[in-house]
Order: sequence, then C-alpha cells, then structure tokens
Amino acid sequence: MRRIRGIRPAFRLPWFSASRVRREVDDELRFHLDMKTQELIDAGASPTDALSRARAEFGDLEYTRRYLNQTDRARMHHERRSELGDELQNDVRFAFRQLRRNPGFTAIALVTLALGIGANTAIFSVVRGVLLAELPYADPDRLVRVYSKIERGMTSVSPADFNDWRRQSTRLSALAASSEGTVNLTGTGTAERFGQARVSANMFQLLGVRVALGRAFAPGEDAPDAPRVVILSDGLWRSRFGGDPAIIGKSIRLDDFPTEVIGVAPPEMRYPSPVDLWLTTRFSAKDLSDSNRGSRWIDVIGRLAPGATPEQAQSEMNAIARRLELQDPKHNAGYSTRLLRLRDDMVGGVRPALIILLAAVGFVMLIACANVASLMLGRTAARESELAVRTALGAGRGRLVRQLLTESCCLALAGGVLGLALALAATRLLLSLAPSDIPRLYNVRMDATVLLFTIGTTALAALFFGAAPALQASGTDTVLHLRTGDRGSRTRPGSARARSVLVVTEITLALMLLVGAGLLIKSFERLRDVNPGFTAARVSTFTVTLSPVKYETLEQQRAFSTRLLDAVHRIPGVDSAAVTFGLPLSGTSFQLSYTVEGRPAPPPNAEPRAQVRIVSPGYFATVGIPLVRGRVFGEADRAGSPRTMVVSEETVRRYFPGEDPIGKHIDFGWNRDGDHLAGEIVGVVGDVRQHGLSEAVTPHVYAAWDQWPIDEITVVMRSRGDPAVAVAAARATVLSLDRDLPVYDAFTLETMVDRALGQPRFYVLLLSIFAALAVVLAVVGIYGVIASTVQQRTREIGIRIALGASRERVVAMVVRRGLILALAGIALGSAGAYAVSRVLQSLLFGVGARDPFTFVAVAALLGGVALLASWLPARRAARVDPLAAMRAEG
Amino acid sequence: MDLLQGTLDVLILKTLSWDAMHGYAISRWIRQHTDNVLTVEDAALYQALHRLERKGLIESEWGLSENNRRAKYYQLTQAGRAQLRAETSEWRQYAEAVFKVLETA
Repeated sequence: MRRIRGIRPAFRLPWFSASRVRREVDDELRFHLDMKTQELIDAGASPTDALSRARAEFGDLEYTRRYLNQTDRARMHHERRSELGDELQNDVRFAFRQLRRNPGFTAIALVTLALGIGANTAIFSVVRGVLLAELPYADPDRLVRVYSKIERGMTSVSPADFNDWRRQSTRLSALAASSEGTVNLTGTGTAERFGQARVSANMFQLLGVRVALGRAFAPGEDAPDAPRVVILSDGLWRSRFGGDPAIIGKSIRLDDFPTEVIGVAPPEMRYPSPVDLWLTTRFSAKDLSDSNRGSRWIDVIGRLAPGATPEQAQSEMNAIARRLELQDPKHNAGYSTRLLRLRDDMVGGVRPALIILLAAVGFVMLIACANVASLMLGRTAARESELAVRTALGAGRGRLVRQLLTESCCLALAGGVLGLALALAATRLLLSLAPSDIPRLYNVRMDATVLLFTIGTTALAALFFGAAPALQASGTDTVLHLRTGDRGSRTRPGSARARSVLVVTEITLALMLLVGAGLLIKSFERLRDVNPGFTAARVSTFTVTLSPVKYETLEQQRAFSTRLLDAVHRIPGVDSAAVTFGLPLSGTSFQLSYTVEGRPAPPPNAEPRAQVRIVSPGYFATVGIPLVRGRVFGEADRAGSPRTMVVSEETVRRYFPGEDPIGKHIDFGWNRDGDHLAGEIVGVVGDVRQHGLSEAVTPHVYAAWDQWPIDEITVVMRSRGDPAVAVAAARATVLSLDRDLPVYDAFTLETMVDRALGQPRFYVLLLSIFAALAVVLAVVGIYGVIASTVQQRTREIGIRIALGASRERVVAMVVRRGLILALAGIALGSAGAYAVSRVLQSLLFGVGARDPFTFVAVAALLGGVALLASWLPARRAARVDPLAAMRAEG
Repeated sequence: MDLLQGTLDVLILKTLSWDAMHGYAISRWIRQHTDNVLTVEDAALYQALHRLERKGLIESEWGLSENNRRAKYYQLTQAGRAQLRAETSEWRQYAEAVFKVLETA
C-alpha cells in the first residue's frame, strides 16, 4: 500500500473539501469502534454491551470528532497553499527557462518594454512633480491666487486695491501680497545680487509655513517706518552664512540698509518663487493712495475662510471690485477680479504641454505592449504543439493560461526593472534639458508614488500583452494538433488576424504621434524664424542696480551711468555700448498710459498705452533696432534740454493711424517729484518682442536716459571678439568704479533669444523622440508579422514558384499584405490625428493643427518605412527554393 | 499509570517506525508493548495522530485492513523519523539524569 512518491503531484486527486474531511474522520472513528467492539465480543461480551464499552473506553468521542475535523481542515488549507506556491515557483522557473531559450525574442521584448516603461515613468515623474504634487503649505487646497482682471486679461494688483480687498473680504480669511526683485548684499565678502521677495507680514502665517529658525514677520513689520527685517532662505543661509544659527539677530547690509536677520525659512518655502530672502512690503502712503491705484504691480494670494467655497469668494471679490469701480472710475473702470487655485495658477501654463507629453508616452507604451503581444502571439503559435502535448498529459486549461500569464509577468517584471533603471537616467536627462521656466522642476524626483506608477504600468502591460496568447492557448484544439503531427509551422487564422489588428493599431498610434511631432517641428521652425526686432549676434549685456543710499539723487545716478558707459566704451573689442532700462524678450514690463497733446481726453482705460523703455543714444545702433523715420536720441538730448521721445512702429499703427507722430507731444501720468515723463516725439523705430517670440508686438515708447536716469542700469555692448571676454572685462570695470556693486544678469543676447525658444524646443525634442520610438516599434511590429507570414507560407510560396510564379510576383504578393496593414493604420491614424488635433493647438505657432502638408508628409514617411519593413522579408520569400520548401513540410 | 505530558507523541512515532498502521492497531500495539502499564485513552491517541499529521511528522493513506475493511493507515515521514531520533536521545539523557539522582541518594 505504499505509494510511489514521485507520481503524486501529477495524479493529484481533486482538492479535499470540508465534507470530504468530515466523511473521512467519521470513517476512521467508525472503523476504530467496530474493531474495538469486535475485540470485546471475541473476549466474550454481548454485542450491545461491547459497543457501549468500546464507546466508553474511547473517551470524549464528540470532542475528538470536532478536534479531528478542525485539524484536518487546517492541514488541507495549508497544503493547498504550499502546493500553489510550488506551482508558481515551477511556473516562474519554467518561464525564465523559456525566455532564456529564445534570446532574440526576449531581447526585443525586453528592450521594447524597458523603453515604454522607462519613458512613461520619466515623464510621469515630471508630471507628478510639476502638476500633481500638492503645494507644501498648510491646507494647500484652500489657497487661491487673486488677480485684477480687465476684459480677458489678468493683471497684478495695486497696493491700494489690495488694502481695500483685505479690509472688505470675509470669504477670504486672509490676503497677502508679494513682489519680487533683487537686492545687493554687501559688507560680508564679495558684493552679490540675490533674488528677494517683498511680502506682507502675514505671508508665512497665511501659507502655514513655520520658520526653521528664529521667527516669522510680526504684524506691522511691513509698515514703511518699521525696522528693516529679513528672513533668509535655507539655501542662502547655508551657502552664504555657513548654516550658523547665531545669524539670528545679526544685521546684514541689503542695498546698503542695515537689516536684522530674524529667521531662516524651511527649504520647502518657495513662495512666490525660490527666492534667496524675504523682506517686507513697506508700502508707502503714496503707494496706497488713490492716485496710485492704477499702478498694478503686486501679486496677491488669499486663503479661503472656513466653509467658504471658491465661488462664494469669487463673487464676493467681484462685489468689492464693483464698489471700487464706482469709487474710483478713473483707475478702476472695467476692473474686476479673478480667483484661481494657487497650484493651478503656478502650473497652468505648462499643463497642456505636459499632458500632451504624457499622452504621447502613453501611446508609446501602448505600441510597445501591442508589439510584445504580437511577438508573444507569434511565439505561442509556434508552441501550440507543446501546449497541446501538455494538455493531453492532463494540464488543465486554467493551468496552461496560468503558465502563460506567469511568462508574461516575468517578462513584464524584467522589463519593469530595466525600465525603472532607464527612467532614473531619463529623468536626470530630462531635468538637465528642461528649460528653467517650467515651474516646480525642483519637485521632480523618483519616489514612492512614481514607483507605484511604474509597478501599475508594468502590471497593466503584463495583463495587456499576456492576455492575448493566454486566451489563444486556452482555445487550442488538442486532438487536431496531436493528430496532424504539427510541428508548429501552421497558425490558426485567429492568431494571424489578432496580430494584424495589433499591427494596425501600432501604426495608427505611431501616425498620430508623428503628426503631433511634425506639427511641433514645423511650428518650432516658424518660431525660430520670427524676427525679434533686434540683432542678437555679438551683443552681450549685464545689469547693476545702484544702492539707494549711496546714489540717492538722480544726479548721482546719472553721473554713475555716464562714468560706467565711458569705461565700457574703453574696453578693447567693444564697438558700441549703451545703457537701457528693460531689454526686449526679457519680459520686463513697465506699461504706462499717456495722453497726446491736443486730443480730447479718452474714456478711462481707453488711453493709449506703451511699454516704456529708457535708453541712451547708442542703444538702437548697439542692439540693431532700425530707425524708420525721424531720428533717434543724440548728444543734444541731455538733462535740461527739451524732453524727447522715440516711438515704435506698433505705437504709430495703433495710436497714430494716418497721422505723422513726429512733433506730437505725449505725456505719461507717471511722475517723479512732480516731473512728468513727457516729451516730443522725434523718431520712429522698429518693433521688438517684449515677452516671447510667439506673442504679438506691443507698442513701445523710448525716453532718453540722460533726461530720465534710473537706478537699475542694464548695459548692452556690441563687441568684436568673444562676448564673454567683454562681460568679464565689464565686471572688472564695475568693480573699479564701485567695489560694492554686484553685476548680475550677465549673458549674451543670443542666449536670451535661445531661452525664449527653451520650452518649445524641449517639447519638440521630447515629442520627436517619442514619435521616433513609436515609428521604430511599429516598423518592428510590421516586420515581425510579415516575416512570420512568410515563414508560415514557405511551402505555399515554394509551390507557387514551382508552378512558374515569378519572383517579382512573390515579392509583390508579400509586400502587398504589409502595405494593406500600413495603409489601414495610416488611414485610421490620420482620422484620429484629425479628430484630436485641437488639443495641440495651444502649443502651435504659425501652423494649423490640421496642416495638410504635415499630414501628407507624415503619412508618406510612415508608408515608406512600412514598405521597407515588408520588402525585407518579401525578398527572402522570393529566394525560397521550391524543392526544399516542399520537402521540409512534406 | 497515566502518561507524562508529551510522551504520547513519541510513543506514536516509535510505534510507526516499524510499519504503517491504522489507529486501532497503534492503540493495541502500545497496550501490548508497555505490558498494559501505560493506558492511552483512544480519544487522546486520535487527536495526537491528526496533530502529528498536521505537523508533517506522519502522513496517512486509505488502505485495506487485515479483515478487508477500509482503514486509514499512518506512516512516518522523513521529518517524523528525524523527530523520533531526536526525541529518543533526549528521553535517554533525561531518564539517565533522573536515575543518577535517584540512585545516588
């Protein structure tokens, strides 16, 4: 009765059930009692007596019955679990053996998966860090950005409006203001310019940020007469002050004002941007006066009051804005407000692009999965007889499906691990390529969420490409395979159809990506061709901001800029130089409205406006802005001589249509000590772009530097040699003039133009990479399908050749099949791209999202590559030796 | 004499070291080989058998008994055999130590 051990697993009886356990326990106990009774009868007891004695001698029968049942059931569960575990282990071992046995298949599948998973994980890590991650502040969902809004445009806020909002709002429990700038740090080591934010005293409290050291601003410390205090960023504290806690309470010199360090912010405090230090707003009475209500230059955030919805807060703010409109129509007519969730406000600009990129890598992933599924289908077809044999030997269908799914999972797992490694490298690469004006890039990192995403992607991938062969295998006809002695050369039509569907899907997706990339490339070229309005080559620039203490008067500021410009002119290699306030493309905005002498006063907010620039005479020649009419500034336009202005062509087009602007007097409301910025127009120059290449030109008005000196001096120099050398020489020059004056924003105008192309270049690069990946994968897919068709039809092809079909006809026959698949994919993809083209529109410049040229070019490209991919196996088909082909299959 | 705690398991293992047996035979064997000195309650015996099987020290199989009835036969597993060896030497050491104390006194 001993059993043969090795056989047991193969002929395993069906699983024990609870009722079976009960039956066996009953049988065992009955046997015992029967034997015992018989023994007693043999010893002379009467049958009834014997049975009751046997029961009595046994002990507690009912308890034992329950005990045995329980113990056996526990054993049964345990065995089932460990047996499943063994099975899984076997499956995994078998799967890895299978994968090792087909190194070509495995390598292609792994590379495909790793690329798909890696690209997805990398992009997701960016999307998560930039778009999805919560702001590191208390209750970040309750934080809103508040804009002033005129017509469709959103603008910053005037301090006066901010003050009134703050007083009247109840749905916002607090409002805080900020403005960003730079500040000179002197006195300790070399003078340096740092990024600062002036914030209202409640800013830290509103955000719920606790300082890491010292204290936050106290109420009242943002008043103009309060002692000057500063909170350092964690980075500045460590790099400049050695992380010394004793810095608290010490005084440092900022723009030559002694300022007490009261705290160090935690590293996660990055509002309004990752600045180096925080000062207080110190709005003057003039800033807050009604007469300055029109100058909107501060950024405002608020926190929703407990229980208030954003809609309630918005409607309350609009009511407040309406009251202010009535109260001060001169400055506020037409102005309402707009509330945005703070996070949306920070990342709203890059959201469309990032979502498109995420969708694009999603497509790549789908193509990768389709490719692997197709490969696996091909391989499963080749393994059908193996599977049939295993079915015949007693493996259940569920068992086979489990085995195949295990193989997919192992493949996906290995792909996932490789993909993760790839993603680590790719994310680092992405961050190094990403333009710095994408917000919150510092948030991008590999963490648990990203890892979870990778695992999820991998699992989905395994399911996606594992399901197809598993479903196919579960339908395998055992008998048919065994009887025909099939050696795996034939595939059932279902499998071929499935692979065709997969390939068409791949081409469809690839085409859509290719259209997207094509459109972006074209748009990028258009953008690159945009004339910024100036000549960037060989022009470099740097900026200094004069200390308000040392250079208090306009006279001192004018004198310094004259000395600086003279010194720069003497630098060898510098052909021309000038000073300016505000460079093109820098985004510097100094927009003012003005009146034209002799014209009736226009209604409020309909006055002509312009970006005001203040430049020295050589500016236009140095940066290459052409003179159109009249003259530019010259030596005559000095302090004290009649005030003159130069306007841009757009100013003429918009505000002087059909008029000669030269000789007209214009007057800006802006004044210094009662001295209005005003003057007579003496010339017209070409337009420049203010913010970006893709934006329309804005009207500019230029004033003469000597007549309007300013403490922020940007120097531009056109040099013969290396612009970097000129900048280095200029730094030394500045130092020789004022040891405490830091030089900042030093770069060439070419890098500035280049920076303006940064985001578009980044997106076009990534989308092109994804499209290229997609095309390569799709081509590998089509090649694989055609190649295995040729392999499966070798015999048929042999017969055709034997019957006199020309090689050309064979090639045409095979290629036609590839082309049909490609054309189907191209047709579907074009339709798909046409349908979703609208989402791309926001990223495009100068090209329609349905640009027919791009659609045709892309279709032709993909068609050509598909043709090549099917021609290669077709050539092999044409070389088939008919005799060998027929013998091999006979 | 009642069994000392833990003795029953080792007795069962020893019994099965000769051959596969069903529960009734095990009970009879223990009775005979301890000259009826040790009384093992049947309920306790069966509980021990199933417990040992759960621990993987013995395994069971249905077979035919001497009188041609279906009976559940138990036999030692590898683990059971090892356990028996370990416990036997433990018992010997224990008994020797106790005797030593008792006889020198």
